[in-house]
Amino acid sequence: MNFSANPLERRLQFSGILLILGLLVEALCLFWTQPIAFVLFLALGGLLLGLGILLFLFTLISTRSSHP
Amino acid sequence: MAPAVLPLLLLIVATAVLIGLLVFRPGLTASKGGKILAFFVLFLLPLICLGMGTDYHIGRSESTAFCLSCHEMQPFGRSLTVDDPGHLAAAHFQYHRVPADEACYTCHTNYAMFGTLRAKLHGLRHVYVHYLGTPPAPEAIRLYDPFNNRECLHCHLGARSFEEGAVHNADPDTLPAVKSNKLSCLSSGCHETVHNVGSLDKEKFWKGAP
Repeated sequence: MNFSANPLERRLQFSGILLILGLLVEALCLFWTQPIAFVLFLALGGLLLGLGILLFLFTLISTRSSHP
Repeated sequence: MAPAVLPLLLLIVATAVLIGLLVFRPGLTASKGGKILAFFVLFLLPLICLGMGTDYHIGRSESTAFCLSCHEMQPFGRSLTVDDPGHLAAAHFQYHRVPADEACYTCHTNYAMFGTLRAKLHGLRHVYVHYLGTPPAPEAIRLYDPFNNRECLHCHLGARSFEEGAVHNADPDTLPAVKSNKLSCLSSGCHETVHNVGSLDKEKFWKGAP
């Protein structure tokens, strides 16, 4: 996989990678019946998804501010 | 009840595939349609997955199997199958006075505002103690607060067996004291035998429904 030369597209790619990792954690936790799965789901999965979404939103804001 | 896992799993896979498409082809977002797709795939769908996942885990955390998955709780699970109707927890479980698949949660959540939230916070503390602390021996485990009659009355209040019970009405002060939580249902001489995990080796056990 090549990262785009365009900084906005590159941020979207990073955001996507964070989201995929978060979804992977979420999917794995579905098959783990121990109570720690709930904690990992929220702490690690939630963190990765949250970071991915925030990076996407930041990309939107920076796109708008760079094109007034 | 925990919601079904398959729809959630399919949503997660579909979301991951669509995100992968944008990661490998970021140029798609240059068009208007691509921007709309990015909004759905990088914002809305992950939020929906997170919400549905949280709902799934919260639902599963209310199951009897979930509570008994830690070895500290296994004697309490065993106490549910004691072959003696005088054991309060066993009788409730075996006679389905509580849903058998949510037996622990039904009695041990507080039927008050934020009761479920408190139960979840206690659960997080249990996970911490289990992995990072020193879990007490099962017979040394105690409730955070004395058992509140409110949890019993949630089901029993107004029931004929409770309101007209001979022992409950032998003394006219008993029922009002129970209803106002001044006299515990678990008082000595009343329903005092609950889990009694310290003496399980002396008990006979019900083998369960066929």
